[in-house]
Amino acid sequence: MNATGASRWPTLGLAALPLGFLALVVVAPLVRLSTVALADVDGAILAALVRDDYLRWRLAWTVLQALLTCLLALLIGLPVAWVLARRSFPGRALVLRLLMLPFVVPTLVAALGVLAVWGPRGVFASWTGIQWQDTPWLLLYGNLFFNLCLVVRAAVEALERVSAARVAAARTLGATPWRAFWRVEWPAILPWLASALCLVFLYTFSGFGLALVLGGQRFATIEVEIYTLVAHELKLAPAGLLALAMLLLTGLVALLYAWVERRLGAPARADHIARTRPSGLWQWCAVWLALLALLLLCAAPILAIALQVLLAGAGAWSVLWEPETLQALWNTVRFTCAALVLATLLGVTHALAARRSTWLRAAAFLPFVVSPVTVAFGLLLLYPAWSASLPLLIGAYALLAYPFVANALGAALDSLPPSLAQVARTLGASPLRVFWRVTLPLVQPALRRGMAFAAATALGEFAVTLFLSRPEWATLTTLIYERLGRPGASNRAQALVLAAELMLLALLVFVLIDRPVRDRDGRRPLPPYRAAGLPHA
Amino acid sequence: MAHASFSLPKPLLAKFESDAGVKLSIIKGGDAGEMLNKLILTRAQPIADVVFGIDNALVVKAQAADVLEAYNGPAGQRPAVVPLAAGVVAVDYGFVTINYDRAWFAKSGLALPRSLDDLAQPAYRNLLAVMHPATSSPGYAFMLSTIAGLGEEAAFTWWGRMRANGVKVTKGWSEAYYTEFTRNGGTRPLVVSYASSPAAEVFYSKEKLTEPPTGSLNLKGAVFRQVEGVALVRGGQQREAARRFIEFLRSAPVQEALQTTMWMYAAEPGTARPEVLRHAAEPTAFDNPPVEAIAARGADWVSRWTGVVLK
Repeated sequence: MNATGASRWPTLGLAALPLGFLALVVVAPLVRLSTVALADVDGAILAALVRDDYLRWRLAWTVLQALLTCLLALLIGLPVAWVLARRSFPGRALVLRLLMLPFVVPTLVAALGVLAVWGPRGVFASWTGIQWQDTPWLLLYGNLFFNLCLVVRAAVEALERVSAARVAAARTLGATPWRAFWRVEWPAILPWLASALCLVFLYTFSGFGLALVLGGQRFATIEVEIYTLVAHELKLAPAGLLALAMLLLTGLVALLYAWVERRLGAPARADHIARTRPSGLWQWCAVWLALLALLLLCAAPILAIALQVLLAGAGAWSVLWEPETLQALWNTVRFTCAALVLATLLGVTHALAARRSTWLRAAAFLPFVVSPVTVAFGLLLLYPAWSASLPLLIGAYALLAYPFVANALGAALDSLPPSLAQVARTLGASPLRVFWRVTLPLVQPALRRGMAFAAATALGEFAVTLFLSRPEWATLTTLIYERLGRPGASNRAQALVLAAELMLLALLVFVLIDRPVRDRDGRRPLPPYRAAGLPHA
Repeated sequence: MAHASFSLPKPLLAKFESDAGVKLSIIKGGDAGEMLNKLILTRAQPIADVVFGIDNALVVKAQAADVLEAYNGPAGQRPAVVPLAAGVVAVDYGFVTINYDRAWFAKSGLALPRSLDDLAQPAYRNLLAVMHPATSSPGYAFMLSTIAGLGEEAAFTWWGRMRANGVKVTKGWSEAYYTEFTRNGGTRPLVVSYASSPAAEVFYSKEKLTEPPTGSLNLKGAVFRQVEGVALVRGGQQREAARRFIEFLRSAPVQEALQTTMWMYAAEPGTARPEVLRHAAEPTAFDNPPVEAIAARGADWVSRWTGVVLK
């Protein structure tokens, strides 16, 4: 695929940047920590780990809940995405952006929202008398709340790129819409779904956040075990072994995904299916059902927080004007911008370099498959002089953010019709010019999606908790946790107000990054053929 | 280097910087135990000159790992309200204890528990939230107090009964207090917290309460006295500035301020106590295991606890 264009790309040169970064920030710290850890590994530790029933149970549970979450996210996310991709209705673009808010809500605030709706004293329990706390259901709910947007956003984008001509041909040849979906649309979107589900799996597998607060300690995952061993007991040897086991397992998943994507990725045609306004009872029902699913799974907890913020009163709102908050807001904005620039650079180069290499593709998942606490301690050990420095902090943010850009872009590059780039090359454009004028405009929606998720990662709490920080670098998330670290009703209210501010900021960022691609823009160098539902001739 | 809860008014810190002519850079290293492990890990190339937050549960481990250097300046010579360890200067102290929700107990009519044994009775089923001792320092302190108060074997028997009686375990204090405690919309009217929390509830209340909505249950075997201190980091570069910082933490303005920023009691004798702390009476008795026992057995106790309560 893309043979003429891609073969001339200086793949190695491109790969140097992301791979060098990974080597410095992930691999070297891990190796350094392992040299300390493995010095005192002996057979006894290994045997104890293998024989530990509790750990085995944990591992089984960790895998099971991650698989269940993937399954549920697919079953719910795909129909929702189909409706969002095929039907146009007022507010559709807003829904797609709101969908990503769960990604930035600090864990504990999200837990407060979830419990306000589904908890033992929440709205649901007061209506039905059913209470979910301490059941695996609430944990799965937490996983879905957080991860559904990954699947829906990827599937929407994939569905929008399905060739209208192929679907129309299938329909003309007598296929039912259902059959047309299975035989035409499903194969076309599969690589994209695989990519999103792989992320969901890795996120829930290492699950460190919401699920744990909601499910309680009994449902803790292996990563929590590693965290306890490293951060609190400094037992690096068993922690290192566990982290290695996790790395092997998740690395297999990442490789499997990369292989699937490379095998299935096929250039799509540049004729897209236009969205239609819902007509008739069934189509409207489908739209309402999709919105209802999103309301229950993703919006309800956030609405519960919003309601509490509105009721919090002026006393709590005044926190917004405190100098400390303004400083934190500024920090949040500048860290996010810096991390986003770095993440985009790394993500784009990685995706371009990884077009023809399964290994490189899988490597883009490395930041997600390594145990974060081992990386954090490894960095500390390897670069003590840099330990509380801004470049390292930004590097950590970018590390956790850039796989989103690389993965979104990877799937988009696969489905690029090769003919366009070939034509441009034939007409004498340099590879760089082809990339700038042809490839980039065509993959822009995917790039924007990846960048939006990357920004969400930087805005949220992912990087802040494990690395050393300084009070003057406090972000909004840090302030929220400080408030929730002290007793008192006004601390709680202020934390929620700050969380609302964070969400509004995130929404603004999403709107800026993820502007809707207009259907009628003559300004773009190579507009995709949008033929209002008609196959492009 | 300080733990995540370190908090002093900005003007005070600014004044220290201008008086001492140094630029203070504070590094927060997570909770106290995590912070100490980061110090131990980087002892070859220390990342800080002075460390605040080494408490009586950690001090022996810190000394055994040889990451501290004794400080015997004026602040180290002066007696403190509570002792810590030689070479480590006590800065503040507090009590980990069980808090209860007054409104909940008034409404349910249930009598307050009077002993740990009561808590294991069916009447108190599903009422207590505690923190995992491996991930939370108050959780660790609470476990230590049960061991000191009941004896090791009896303590773990009690924990086993508590498991059967539905004790809820959370990762950290914030989760317990803000998602489990009835005062904040949870289902547990009893939560492991600090003796100063009722006063903080008044201080941070929205409708300006005059009486705290919560209280401390100072049960036998369920109160741990935590003493936090500051020490020099071995191999630190800025020796003189570090000494000044230690003196600064024991100075009157800091000792007064920390009582309502970190919600601990001042270690310097004769420090005025803020009015709001009258809602936070110091428990008359507490149960701490000997510091040597904590250092020697702490990790074993945590894994035994995990086995009894979670596995």
